[in-house]
Formats: sequence, structure tokens, C-alpha cells
Amino acid sequence: MTPELQAIWTPVSETLRGRVSEDAYHRWFHEVELACMDDKSVTLRVPNPIHQFFIESNFLTVLQSAFEECGSGTREVRFVFSSNGEHSNGNGNGNGDAEADDFADIPEPVAEPAAPRRPNRQAIGQSLGMNPRNSFDTFVVGANSQFAHAASQAVAQSPAKTYNPLFIYGGSGLGKTHLLQAIGHHVLAARRDFKVAYISCEQFTNEFIDAIQHATLVRFRKRYRQADVLMIDDIQFLAGRERSQEEFFHTFNALHDGHKQIVLSSDRPASEIEKLEQRLVSRFEWGMTAELQPPDLETRIAILKKKAEAMSIVLDAWVIDFLADKIRNNVRRLEGALMRVATYKSISDRPVTRETIENLLRDILQEQARRVVTIDQIQRKVAEHFDVRIADMTSKRRPANIAFPRQIAMFISRRLTRASLTEVGDAFGGKDHGTVIHAEKLVKKRMEEDSDIRQTINLLETQLQR
Amino acid sequence: MKLTATKEALLDGLQTIQNVVSTRATLPVLSNVLIETTETGVRLTTTDLEVSVRRDINAQIEKPGATTLPAKRLLSIVRELPSSEIVLETDAKQITSLRCGPSFFKVYGMPKDDYPAFPSLREPRVFTMKQSELKDGLRKTSYAISLDETRYVLNGILFAFRDNKLTLVATDGRRLALWDNDMEFPKSLERDFIVPTKAIHEIERLLKEDGEIIISAGENLVSFELNGTLLVSKMVEGTYPNYRQVIPGEAKERISLEREAFLKCVHRVSLLSNEKTSSIRLNFTKNNLDITSNTPDIGEAKESISIAYRGREFAIAFNPEYMMAPLRALPDDEVFLDLIDEMSPGVFKIKTPFLYVLMPMRVSV
Repeated sequence: MTPELQAIWTPVSETLRGRVSEDAYHRWFHEVELACMDDKSVTLRVPNPIHQFFIESNFLTVLQSAFEECGSGTREVRFVFSSNGEHSNGNGNGNGDAEADDFADIPEPVAEPAAPRRPNRQAIGQSLGMNPRNSFDTFVVGANSQFAHAASQAVAQSPAKTYNPLFIYGGSGLGKTHLLQAIGHHVLAARRDFKVAYISCEQFTNEFIDAIQHATLVRFRKRYRQADVLMIDDIQFLAGRERSQEEFFHTFNALHDGHKQIVLSSDRPASEIEKLEQRLVSRFEWGMTAELQPPDLETRIAILKKKAEAMSIVLDAWVIDFLADKIRNNVRRLEGALMRVATYKSISDRPVTRETIENLLRDILQEQARRVVTIDQIQRKVAEHFDVRIADMTSKRRPANIAFPRQIAMFISRRLTRASLTEVGDAFGGKDHGTVIHAEKLVKKRMEEDSDIRQTINLLETQLQR
Repeated sequence: MKLTATKEALLDGLQTIQNVVSTRATLPVLSNVLIETTETGVRLTTTDLEVSVRRDINAQIEKPGATTLPAKRLLSIVRELPSSEIVLETDAKQITSLRCGPSFFKVYGMPKDDYPAFPSLREPRVFTMKQSELKDGLRKTSYAISLDETRYVLNGILFAFRDNKLTLVATDGRRLALWDNDMEFPKSLERDFIVPTKAIHEIERLLKEDGEIIISAGENLVSFELNGTLLVSKMVEGTYPNYRQVIPGEAKERISLEREAFLKCVHRVSLLSNEKTSSIRLNFTKNNLDITSNTPDIGEAKESISIAYRGREFAIAFNPEYMMAPLRALPDDEVFLDLIDEMSPGVFKIKTPFLYVLMPMRVSV
């Protein structure tokens, strides 16, 4: 308890001592501390949940009048529990009664201490399930993430006044959670009175189902509809879950109408989430949609450098270049590789050479290497998908049901392999390079016009690259 | 599915499992009872997703199968059937016909696959005890369970199997009831869990005076097996708060009271208090206890009992209902009231392991 809080608590405590019996004071109030105070509430730190239940049930009026008399005015009384007797940052982590390990709890009997000190808010961020290392400072911006980053910052600085909702999508390991949590941390630090909820979609649906079963829907709704900023990760998991979607629909409306910020992340654009109600899709697209793409080489190098600096690791430039060159699609994997190399370097006395790294990271690099696709594979995959014979891939037949898949296969070949126009043409039964150019143009145009085709081709490419 | 059962057996089975069905079921199939044939008869199951009950009854099976039927409706039909033998037949469309003497009913049901699976416990810790003992324990504690839904950890009874005894604890922030019973079990089986209120009430209904009950505690499910019925309930998630804190140590005064006489006095005095502000004042003077109530706009009441008391004069006030509840539940002739001072909890004790801590109310001047 800080000296200021102690100064407030001591007269109240003395007043209480006079109002309740010695035994009662000793039993219930002796170990109580004032955790924090704001203009609407006071938060008391008690050793055990049972204290809260008994004080609330029996001494609330006495307590409140004691505060009033000592000049603090009428306040709502809230409780936190001390964990292991540590006089810690006064958040709900030592919470005895369930909801332990929960993410975004706006912990109910436990206060949202709007404490005047930064450390408190960070601790709250952590208790909400957000990694303190995911902040705007640690995010490396590149051409791939510039737009999403800018949008996130705008939202963090003026929640609900810029883009609402903010929908961020991108593949795995590209930074969606990082941006979401960065927004969360920023808001918590800047706005003391803002309630931030950060939760994974799975958590949301699980808690919803639980609330139905335990008939605690009121409490569930209160928790999420009273947030000032609601952030949900991996919203694509709502796919196919009708009741959860309906509940989320109402939650979304309640928040949006109340001008509260909603931020969502997903692994694909809203329109590509299957079995998602149209009214949700349109709402997700209502505000701003930003994509996070895989970073380019310079950005990858920058990420590695920043991470190395943060971990106080010194690595030769060529190591960083090597890693950045080999691992392209997934920042998480990139950072993991960095960790591995750094650890190896620190525990081994042998110098780090290209061979050692290749050996160390062989599983990752093999994965990347496996991604070298051959035209043969492409032809087979496309033929299988469109139900044509492989021979048709190389034939001269013109009917559209054969020609179009062939053209698609050519298009994909140009995209995924390093083959030249002539090489592709040869692989498709001695076709002219011009045919390949035409195929590329045609498929591109059709992709722009028809989203089904675009999705099919993306799907095929992803499958080929696995 | 086709089977023949006696009205008595079916009625008994249906009545046993009826209470678990909740009136406002979240899924329509939950208002149904699952009827499945077994080797020896019929298995009836109901659930509300928190508590599930299953009971086997004897029947003659002509064709095995399963279906679900609306529980309440089925019970009311079976109850009114004229004679003893009932033939149940279900067709492929889940329509069940009941034939009993000249009566014929056709009831629409839902397929068995719609019914949630009966919960199963993995590697449970098993305890066996006498039904009469558990009945005693629950009766002495269940009235103190918290009804406040926001304090959901308290919405049930704590079952603590530790140090070779079973302790039951129930509290709502104003009073706490604790009951102990010696039981032998190895240290490796020690476990604490909280059984939710609904399950407690169901078990109380099912307990009889003789026989044994088998309690199996899993990770987050607990099952009670007694008299051919199996009840499985979810445990209340969370850790029960440290209730030991509440129990006062040394008492300043211990007063012996005649339970029935005291209960009657308190009850009479409480007749003149209203529910909102009801408080009853116990005034202790030399060898005498005055029990009084004084409610504005209603009136006053006073009773006196002679007691053996030689301590200082003092007064303490309690909520009459909270005071009467344990007195009604205890069979003993004599109870002991341990007191410290007027703002400290009073503790009711008896000769067997039990205590009831009650927080006082402000003594009105």
C-alpha cells in the first residue's frame, strides 16, 4: 500500500475499529489494505475470497459510511485478493474463485483498478491474456503491413472514432495477434477508464456455451457488451456455429451502436469465411479491412535485427541474411529460427558456419525446400481438381472444359516455378510461348471477375505448396 | 423397440428421474426422458446438461431399441393408466404407442441420437458411505447454501475428503454450516470438490435411511450411486474459499440451550417482525435469556428462557430465519451457543461434529 493510500485508509480503519467489535475488526479488517481508489470506487485488498463474501454481506454499510465520514465521499466498494501475500500490482490474479486462467475477464468482483501508475495497467493487460511484448514499439513495419499498422494505430489512438470495426486478416504468423494486442496495450495505457476485452473466438464460443448451460447469460453479456474496446482473435472460428454467430451479432450491434470499438482478426477475408451469416460478413466489412501479407526481404531482415537487439544477441550479418532469405512466409517461424541459432551460438563453442545453421534448421529449411513445385505436380493437381485426364493437359484439344484447366495449370506454373515461357510451353505438349502468355492473361482476367475461380486457384496454389 | 413393463415399475422410475428435467430447457430434447432397453429391462435417463440421472427398471423386452419421450407428459399418462401391464412400442418415426388395458396412447418423441451422451467419469476416486450419514450431513448443511448467483462458487456444498473424514461446508456470506464425518480412505484419494445446489437437492430426495451410497469424483464430474439410481453432476468450477477463516476460535461464553424450546421462542418472537428488517435480539443476563423483537409499525414481542449463564450482561442480534434454520435441522435436544461479543459471529454446536457460524446484525438501540 502506498503512503497516499495508507493515509486514506488509516482513518477509515480506525473508524471501523470503533464501529465493529475488537474481534470482528481483527478477524475481518485487520489484514485489509487499500489497493487503489478512484472517483467512483475504492478497492480493498483482502487475503481470501471468503473475506469479500463476509464483508460484503455484513459490513458493507459500515464500511461505506466510514469512508464517507473520513471525507472520501460515497464510493462503490470492490475487492481484490492478494496472491501469496505478495503486495503485487493489485490486479485480480490471485482470484480464489474460478475464472482462473481466463483471458479477457473483466473480472467481476475484482475491480478494474484505474490506478494512476503504468505498471498497474500492464498487469491488467497481462491478466486479460495479452502478451506484454506485443506492442506497437516491437512491431516492425514493412510494405506488407504498413496499411494494417497504420489502421491499428489510428484505432488505438481514437477508439471508435476512426475505423469501426477494424478487420485484420492474414496468414499464420504474420502479426495479427501482435497488432490486436498492441492496440489493447495502447488503449489501456492511454485511457484509464476504458474497459478492454481481448479474447480468442474459441474462448468466446466456449464461454457462451457455458453461460447457456449454467444460465449465466446475463453475466456473460454484461462482460462483453460493456467493454469499450472488444478485440476478438481468429473470428473465422465462428464458421458453422450458428448460435455463437447470433450471439456475436447481438454483441456486435450493442457495441457498435454504443460507439464502442471492435477489432477482429481472421486468417482470411470476411467474405471467404465459409458458413458465416451474410449479415455478419457485411458487418465485418463495414469499417476497415486490412491485410497482413508476408514480409519482403528487407522487412524480414529488419524484423530479425530488431528481435536480435531486443534479446541482446549478436549475430553476424550473413546469418541474418541467410535466415531472411530462407524463411519467407512466416514471421513466427523466422523468429523461432533466430532463437535456435542464438541459443546454439551461446551454448556451443564451435563457430557458427553455414553448414551448422543448415543442419540446425534443417526441418524448417526442408519445409521451405519442399515447396519447390514442379510443373508435373501442377499438372497432376489441376487435372485431378477439374477431373480431366493428365494427357489432356498436354493435348491440343480446344473444348473449354479441357482448355481452361490447361490454362490454369499454365498460369500456376508461371507463378510457382521459375520456368520460362518456353519451358512451360514445352511442358504442356510443345505449345508456343505465346499460348502461355495468352493463358496467363486470360486466367488473370477471369480471376478478377470471378471470385470462385480466384478461390480455386488460391486453394490449388496453397495445396501445392504444402 | 417393444417392451412390457408394470405400471408400478415405470411410475417409480419416471418419478425418480423427473426432477432433473428443467422447465425451460435450452434444447427441446432435454425435456424428454431417454428410454433405452437393456438386458434386464429399461433404462431411463434425464438431464439438464448439468445434472443427469439414470435409473434401470425391470421390463420384458420383445424388441430392443431406444427413443426419447416428453418426460412430464409421459409421467402424467403412466400415473393415470388403469391397469398394471403397459406395452410400449416405438416405430421408426419415433412415435411411441402405449397400450394398457383398453387405453391407447400415441406420443411423438425424438430419436435417441438427439439425446446428449451420458457423462462418464475417467479414473474417478471412489468413496463409499452410509446413506443415513450423508442424509444427516446434507440436512444439516444444505439450508445454508448461497442463493446469490454471482457468487457461484458458493452455490453448492463443498465436499472435502481429507484426513480420514468427509467435511461438508455450505455458506452464503452471512452464515456457514459445517459437518464432519469420519471416513477411512488412503491419502492418495484426498479430494475437494463442490457439488451444485440442484444436485444436492436431488440427492437429498433420493437418499434413504439405509443402504450405502457410492460417491465417485472425477476431474470435473461427480457421480452418486444409490438405490439403483445413478446421478452424475458437474462440479462447480473454482476453488471454495478458505472457510476456516470464518470460524471463530475461542468463545467467550458457551450457553447450553434446549433446542426445541429455544426454537419455539424464536419462532414466536419472529412472528412480529417483517422480512426486510427482521432481527431478533438476544439479551443475556444472569441465568436468563430474553428474546425480543421490535419492529416499527408492527409491534413487539418478548420471550424469556432460563439458562445457566454467569457471564457479563450483553445483547446480540441475529436474523431469526438464519437462526431457526439449523435448529430445525438438528435432531439433538441440547445445542450450545458460543459467543464472543455483539459484533462477532455466534456459533451453534452440538455433541456430534457440526458447527454453524452466524454473523450478527447490528443491535438496534
